[in-house]
Amino acid sequence: MSATRRQMALEIVRIVLVVALALLLGFFITALVSDDPVGAYTEFLTGPLPKVSINDDGSWQLRGVNRFGNWIEDSITLILLGLSVAIVFSARQFSLGAEGQLFLGALAAGAVSLYIQAPAVIHISLALIAAGTAGFIWGLIPGALKAYLNADEIVSTLMLNIIAIQFYQFVLIRYMRDFSAGYVGTEYFPETAVLPVVIPGTRVTVALFITIAAVVVVWFFMSRMPLGYEIRMLGANRKFAEYGGIKVKRVITLSMAISGILAGLAGTHLSMGLLKQLTLSLSPNIGFEGIVVALLARNDPKWVPVAGLFYGYLRTGAQIMERSSDVTREMVLVIQAVIILFITAELILPLIQQWWRRRRSPKAILDSIEEVGDVA
Amino acid sequence: MPNLIDMRDIIKVYPNGVVANRDVNFSVEKGEIHALVGENGAGKSTLMKILYGLEQPTGGQIFLNGRPVTIHNSHQAINLGIGMVHQNFMLIPSFTVAENVVLGQEPTKRQMIDAEAATRITLQLAQAYGLDVDPAAKVEATPVGMRQRVEILKTLYRGADLLILDEPTAVLTPQETDDLFDAVRRLVGQGKTVIFITHKLVEVKEISDRVTVMRHGEVTGRMQMADVSEEDIARMMVGRDVLFRIEKPPQQRGEAVVRVSGLSYVSATGRPLLRNVSFNVYHGEILGIAGVEGNGQTQLAELLGGLAPPTTGEATIGGQSILGRGPRHVREAGVAHIPEDRLTNGVALEASIADNLVVDRYYRPPFTHRGAMSLRQIRQHAENLMQKFDIRAAGAEATIGSLSGGNMQKVIIAREFSADPALLIAAQPTRGVDIGASEFVRRQLVEARNAGKAVLLISADLAEILTLADRIAVMYKGEIVAVFPNSPDLSEEALGLYMLGLKRQTPPEIESHL
Repeated sequence: MSATRRQMALEIVRIVLVVALALLLGFFITALVSDDPVGAYTEFLTGPLPKVSINDDGSWQLRGVNRFGNWIEDSITLILLGLSVAIVFSARQFSLGAEGQLFLGALAAGAVSLYIQAPAVIHISLALIAAGTAGFIWGLIPGALKAYLNADEIVSTLMLNIIAIQFYQFVLIRYMRDFSAGYVGTEYFPETAVLPVVIPGTRVTVALFITIAAVVVVWFFMSRMPLGYEIRMLGANRKFAEYGGIKVKRVITLSMAISGILAGLAGTHLSMGLLKQLTLSLSPNIGFEGIVVALLARNDPKWVPVAGLFYGYLRTGAQIMERSSDVTREMVLVIQAVIILFITAELILPLIQQWWRRRRSPKAILDSIEEVGDVA
Repeated sequence: MPNLIDMRDIIKVYPNGVVANRDVNFSVEKGEIHALVGENGAGKSTLMKILYGLEQPTGGQIFLNGRPVTIHNSHQAINLGIGMVHQNFMLIPSFTVAENVVLGQEPTKRQMIDAEAATRITLQLAQAYGLDVDPAAKVEATPVGMRQRVEILKTLYRGADLLILDEPTAVLTPQETDDLFDAVRRLVGQGKTVIFITHKLVEVKEISDRVTVMRHGEVTGRMQMADVSEEDIARMMVGRDVLFRIEKPPQQRGEAVVRVSGLSYVSATGRPLLRNVSFNVYHGEILGIAGVEGNGQTQLAELLGGLAPPTTGEATIGGQSILGRGPRHVREAGVAHIPEDRLTNGVALEASIADNLVVDRYYRPPFTHRGAMSLRQIRQHAENLMQKFDIRAAGAEATIGSLSGGNMQKVIIAREFSADPALLIAAQPTRGVDIGASEFVRRQLVEARNAGKAVLLISADLAEILTLADRIAVMYKGEIVAVFPNSPDLSEEALGLYMLGLKRQTPPEIESHL
């Protein structure tokens, strides 16, 4: 146990160090392109946090709550998508289908919201179930294709994404569009199908609690349920799983289908929480951001919220910097990408350690290792 | 006169902190056969990789004929007259023997490769050193023994005076081993020097003039062969006394546990790999399957383990067919399987020991109860087995990848034995496992047999089969060509004739021992 704990501590030190290095690098780039790098970078680093301002009479008020809301709203999407991706990546299936599953989830939720009438709790529950089912099916298809026909899941999920998005837009334009609006979109959802706001002044809704629940459920599923064990073993070594008696094809199919549920739920957060309607382009390419979150969390469900909040913070901070400084949108995206790239490059720290080691003499190295004991 | 090679105070620390060599001093005299022995992970391969330029030492110096040298890569080693024959041959299968020998330094005529010259060179070298090869044959069509000779010729062609042979006999039959030893003696007779890496002590004794023993990255002994016994060397390798004999009480053979009949398997490319294989394995017996590797043993184990369906034939336990419905079905019928390829099938390297130990039983109580897995039960189970099977690791949560080869094998053994099987398939159970752990594995196999289990032991190590098996079946080209009850009269050489396909029993003879 102590060994694992020490590893954990080392890992945390590693992450903190790498994040610090990455932020430093980000600042360096900012300094190259901005006239006021410190101001711009401060906006970037502290923008999403609400600020307390104290009035002359001693009373205080919170400002920038909407920015804080943006951070949490974005993080909710990212966490749900991150969980979705973490499940398939744990099975070592490189499904990129979250985008399509998200659109179909939103569509199913939208249909239930607009065409069914029910009291709020039932209405929302039905919409969530519909969205999860849509995602499940849209994951089941590439899963079965991979497991039973050996169709490469990268290709199949990308193709299915196109089909899903085009189908979504077709249905929206042809059947669900509200022609009284000046743009392509449905009517606003009825009150009973809109997720209630929990932080006033923001669009943070009960989706927050749904997400927290999803994290717990996925964590339990992956670490404590037989199917989760099967997914992990499949990912660790497919041949080993097969040899041990695990029905590998079934597990491949289900891992991709279950992952779809979470992407479908992310679609409800966008439609029933943020937009309260369906629009032509929900949130383009957000589906792929789940991959970044899952990578940062090393596919571990309990780290997905941390990674999601971190990445959401970066994204929100970057947007704020873009709005309030002379750094252009393109440069903001570059800085953001460099930071993520730096953090996900696993070998950066070992490389530094190796370099450090090489500067020391062989004898000193032997002496330092002696305490650890025999390695053979 | 200075030594041919002097490696002084060699230190090698890998970037991950593993100390492979610790102040190693190693010297080779010109014209000797020098054995370098030690268990897996003792650091002998690392030392040789340093000598051959594949690894750079963290500290220390190498002297060649008394002159200090730095060897940055294998190219430079070759220029210094050092050649290495690796355990896994580095040949191009679709090229001829002659093309492989001259590869990289081809004789040319008008900018074109001169094939005739290549053949001539190969023949000359082969004759000069008594290494019999067929220059025109494609390497893929030649037997393993010849491939090894091709490798040796390749290094000689590049002008090697010192040959490093890394576990050269691991893949050879007894007859081929004898041929190799003759060739090595001739090489030395012609002024070459040979370093012979091995962990087979009989060979050390037979072939070498001097021996250097390594353990835990350090040299633990260096002596003239005439002065030591096998037991002495073993003690220096393992650090304690080793029992070579395994106590085996008289057999109490019971009913047949598994009946295999007419098993055939044709590969996806249409090659028949198993032909009409039939045998029984009885309660309380070890049936050894002997044979040169690649004669169908791998497929036999995979089929019986449920990893692939047979083309024809079946295997039954208690009258019930067990094949064709996947590994779980086979396991639930009472078969346990120690797979040949441990890293591919036997373990998941990045998963924990605890997770690896339940892959065949995680879905059953007490590990899964009302749909949820009990981590406590799984950890407890792992801790029990780790203690019982002496698995040395940081803890049940340590990853398999962090274990040594021997401990990895113990994890597999622990899982498969604790499944309490009726039939235990053990495919190459001690391959790549050091002496100490091998001894343990063998004793466990005998214990399983004494407890009344049926054991199918598939091994390329004849000595192992002769020590452990109650009956021995020999496989050649996918067929069983002979079955013997084991007896002290049975020799490796006698079995070797069947293994090479030079002799075979008549069907009634085979029948009588099934």
